[in-house]
Amino acid sequence: MQNDDRTREELIEYDDDERRLFAELPREEVLTPGDVDRLVRRLRFEGFFRARVNAWRWGLAAAAAIVLFAAGTATGRFAERRNSLDALLARSDLSITDRVLLLQRAGTAYVQAAQSYASATTTIDSGAVEVASRVLMGAAHAVARNGLDAGLSARLTSALQPSVMTPVSAPRKPVIWY
Amino acid sequence: MTIVPLLVDPPDATLIRRFLNGDERAFRELYVRHTPRLKMTVRRLLGRTGPDVDDIVQDTWLAGCRGIHSYRGDATLVAWLTSIAARTTYALLSRRNGRETPLHDDVPEPRAHAPESGIDLERALAALPDHQRVVVVLHDVEGFTHDEIAAHLGMATGTSRATLSRARQALRQALTTGVSNAER
Repeated sequence: MQNDDRTREELIEYDDDERRLFAELPREEVLTPGDVDRLVRRLRFEGFFRARVNAWRWGLAAAAAIVLFAAGTATGRFAERRNSLDALLARSDLSITDRVLLLQRAGTAYVQAAQSYASATTTIDSGAVEVASRVLMGAAHAVARNGLDAGLSARLTSALQPSVMTPVSAPRKPVIWY
Repeated sequence: MTIVPLLVDPPDATLIRRFLNGDERAFRELYVRHTPRLKMTVRRLLGRTGPDVDDIVQDTWLAGCRGIHSYRGDATLVAWLTSIAARTTYALLSRRNGRETPLHDDVPEPRAHAPESGIDLERALAALPDHQRVVVVLHDVEGFTHDEIAAHLGMATGTSRATLSRARQALRQALTTGVSNAER
């Protein structure tokens, strides 16, 4: 691109020695350690570089997410099984409060099952009636047997016993014999 | 400036494209590839070593990165960066000369040793007045044309020619005087 007027008369041309000196000038200089890091920090601050995320970090994050999901699912299933009615009934380490709650849950379950059956059909099956009645009766017996009815069954029993009263006869009218 | 095709792999254009996509490693490769040449040019333009050289190189890269979208690839990347460095250096020298001593056309002091090596030419260049040295380095070392020098430094083309003429006279006198002194 040196197509300018270097050959103009007023411009001194270099002789061979001078041209050699120019040709022998060194063209490169050693880098100062750390300069590129300083510049990279500045450029990163100005938003030139995206955050570096290595592929192995993505893999690690995905694996951790899968492990967390599996652990959460397993924990949830274990807690669900541990707190089911069947599991609680089988446990012997429940506190008194927990046993009261268990009674409440069982009763609620019975009521919900009865409502669910009733809403699912329009005709009441005699078998269902018998099952419902027997369960209710069994529960009532258990409650009474264990003294959980606050004496209600005793009062009902005495109330339902046939009374030994003498029949009230109508007052005889005096017979007037004529 | 003379365009020398660089058969390097990957080519600058690829690295620039990757850098524009946020690839830090591509930038580092560009830096390592071109900074040694750029740094030598800046040191020669300044006429001395010191912290100014590293600062100007950093400023040049920063300006280059900020304006990389305007780089069309019709010159080599190092030539484009050199033009930025020349502007930055010339502005710094002009500010310093305006504050301290004005630019002058004095011929450098003759030295008492033979200018038979590149080091002597380096010394002669460093001893030139700042604006003469900048024009000589850009024209005779880096291969810029007067039109390019005038555009980069914000001067008339004729001023660049006249400055180069005076600079060559001064250089020859310095080199010759040195030879004469050494022969005595």
